[in-house]
Amino acid sequence: MGQSVADARALVPRLAIRELDRPMLENAFASFADWHSNASPLVSVLTDMTPYGDLILDITGVPHLFGGEKIMLSMMISRLRQVGYTVSGAIAPTIGAAWAVSHFVGNRVVTPKTIVTLLDSLPIPALRLGRDQIAALTQMGLLTIGQVRQRPRKPLQARFGASFLIRLDQAYGEIEERMTPRLPIVEHFVERRFHEPISQLDDVLAAARELAQKLCAALESDGLGAQTFHLFLYRVDHKVMTLSLNAARLTRDPQHIVSLFHHRAQRFEVEEFDPGFGIDMVRLAASSLDRLDVAQLGAFETENGAADIDRLTDRLTSRLGPTAVLKVELVESHIPERAARLAPAVVAETESPLSRPRPRRPLRLLPMPELVRINAEVPDGLPASMIWRRQPYRLIKGAGPERLGAEWWRKRERLQLVEEVEPEELEPGEKAKQPPYVAALPLHDPEASTRDYYLVEDTDGRRFWVFRQGFYDGDLPPAWYLHGFFP
Amino acid sequence: MSAPDRQQRLTALRDTIADIERKPALAEVRAKSFDARDGNFPRLPGGLLQEVFTDAVRNGGANLGFALGQAKTLLTPKRMAVLYLQLTSDGQFFGLPYGPGLLSFGFDPAQLVIVRVSDMRDFLWVAEESLACRAVAGIVADIGGDPEPLDFTASRRLSLRAAESGTSLFLLRYGAERQASAAHLRWCLTPHRSGRKRFDEQAPGAPRWSLELEKGVALGRQTQFLLEWTENGFATLPVEPGRKSRHRPTLPFAFPTRLADGLSQAARV
Repeated sequence: MGQSVADARALVPRLAIRELDRPMLENAFASFADWHSNASPLVSVLTDMTPYGDLILDITGVPHLFGGEKIMLSMMISRLRQVGYTVSGAIAPTIGAAWAVSHFVGNRVVTPKTIVTLLDSLPIPALRLGRDQIAALTQMGLLTIGQVRQRPRKPLQARFGASFLIRLDQAYGEIEERMTPRLPIVEHFVERRFHEPISQLDDVLAAARELAQKLCAALESDGLGAQTFHLFLYRVDHKVMTLSLNAARLTRDPQHIVSLFHHRAQRFEVEEFDPGFGIDMVRLAASSLDRLDVAQLGAFETENGAADIDRLTDRLTSRLGPTAVLKVELVESHIPERAARLAPAVVAETESPLSRPRPRRPLRLLPMPELVRINAEVPDGLPASMIWRRQPYRLIKGAGPERLGAEWWRKRERLQLVEEVEPEELEPGEKAKQPPYVAALPLHDPEASTRDYYLVEDTDGRRFWVFRQGFYDGDLPPAWYLHGFFP
Repeated sequence: MSAPDRQQRLTALRDTIADIERKPALAEVRAKSFDARDGNFPRLPGGLLQEVFTDAVRNGGANLGFALGQAKTLLTPKRMAVLYLQLTSDGQFFGLPYGPGLLSFGFDPAQLVIVRVSDMRDFLWVAEESLACRAVAGIVADIGGDPEPLDFTASRRLSLRAAESGTSLFLLRYGAERQASAAHLRWCLTPHRSGRKRFDEQAPGAPRWSLELEKGVALGRQTQFLLEWTENGFATLPVEPGRKSRHRPTLPFAFPTRLADGLSQAARV
């Protein structure tokens, strides 16, 4: 460690040298960490001390499933040793203590009773301190944590900074230390372990079906429904695959959940489904929970199609992706392309449109207006002929113009409201008048962005929506565009 | 064998064949609401596969208007959505349904779900999946050109699904080519000069369509319609004599078309 390549070569002439691929290693460690969520759902990687981080598991309420803390620790360490890793781990009431014990003592379970004596005997670097802090402390002859802990706190803070005291308190559990879980926190989950690893996608989905029924039974007994579902697939080779999906409304219908995963998996198949050496555990989890009362199917219920529509959009979204299934949202704006917005149907809020009078608008709008050539009999008159997509049209009817100005307030431009002030010659002794405040924004140029819209009809009865950008008497010649089609 | 007995057996046989052909929607609705009571354009019921052909994409506005005008009559509290289906790559070519435009046409944009798919396989999957949903009033699908996967088998599947669930499917097609299809009705649509606008002779008025029924039976023997859009739906105008579809010559009773037409011949008396 810390040797230069030349020195290493001198020691071992046949040394094979490879460059460290840090991102790859980091990713590998992260997915390795995810895999440990089969022991406890709260997994996090602590990255502040070691290059790729330390694996932290919150095992509150978990050890009894493995037969006690001691057995759990030895199980987790031995299963990693079997794969060929060098492992050291500890169980402790605080993250700081677990880190200290695992790095400086070895595999051990620390209980709240023993934590103080054990930590007191450990050396200073076990506190996760910076290099300068450790150097300064050793210089002062403070070698163990116990020695530091006895000393008055104020001079310590003045000398080594607040972070030192925070680390100390965190290790002893005086203040809480938070961990950020890597995987989404799930409140309800069910899982199934397999004696023989499975690798077929169909088998996975069959397992998911069984799990969905269990999960939904659990949700129903709690009177809950969920909107987000995650399927975690734990591979034998320490990797986790996650499939997450959203439903449009709260649900606990196992059929529906399974069908959503089915559609999602069809897309999955196209991309990649790599079970590696097999999957030995499947977990189905639900999050975004809320109360969902038992629906009463009564004789007087008026059947409403809204639930069916939501279910359909869920199914379509799970296969095609959220950007493929859209709803129209109306926006308060007079600019045609801003007045309507397409939003994913799973999240769109459908409001009833405002009942103010609306001008006539085309049924279809081109996402990008297309350049056309238009001749008008007189400037500012109705267009008389048009060439669009290399086809000529003779226009016989027309309505317009409807002049739409640009929204200058959105473009960070200012209107010409204040006349520029010419500096006057000052009498001796007279103070200069404060000029009016003018924001330092570019001036709004109405010529460049004002549009004149015309509704035109050709000889065969097709109705188009065209607009002219720019004025005839301006500096730039006006340009015509086709923007939409009327029925 | 006596004559009435024979007649009965023939009727029974015809019924069986009609059952096999599974055109319950068409068989039923033909008797009910397709009839020409007052010569107006009938309010076509759900569960029909309708193809609306028009010569080019530039008529896309008229095409969409005709389909949405029909779909609007199918909306009920139970069936409260209309799906619009399009290939993502066609967005700029055809244009997308526009919310304020739907409003001014009299269609609530909140009831429209727009689905954009990347290929024809997904397109047909979405069409079938949504046809099976009994809460969808109608599906309007824009199809440019003549895609390979949409063959006779596919259209037969779609028409069966539509008849089964009572959801209508409008296939908006462009071009003069007609392939064999199992659509219940096939329209040839041409835009028509708009009506008069009050107080403004120059301006386009209410939209009008001129339609020709190429396949199926809608209104007795009438095949030509001239429709105008009003607030209450379609209004039927008298067809101008002498106006003929320009596309007649290009489909001189193409064999596949006849074959598809013939599907209902066994049940026809």
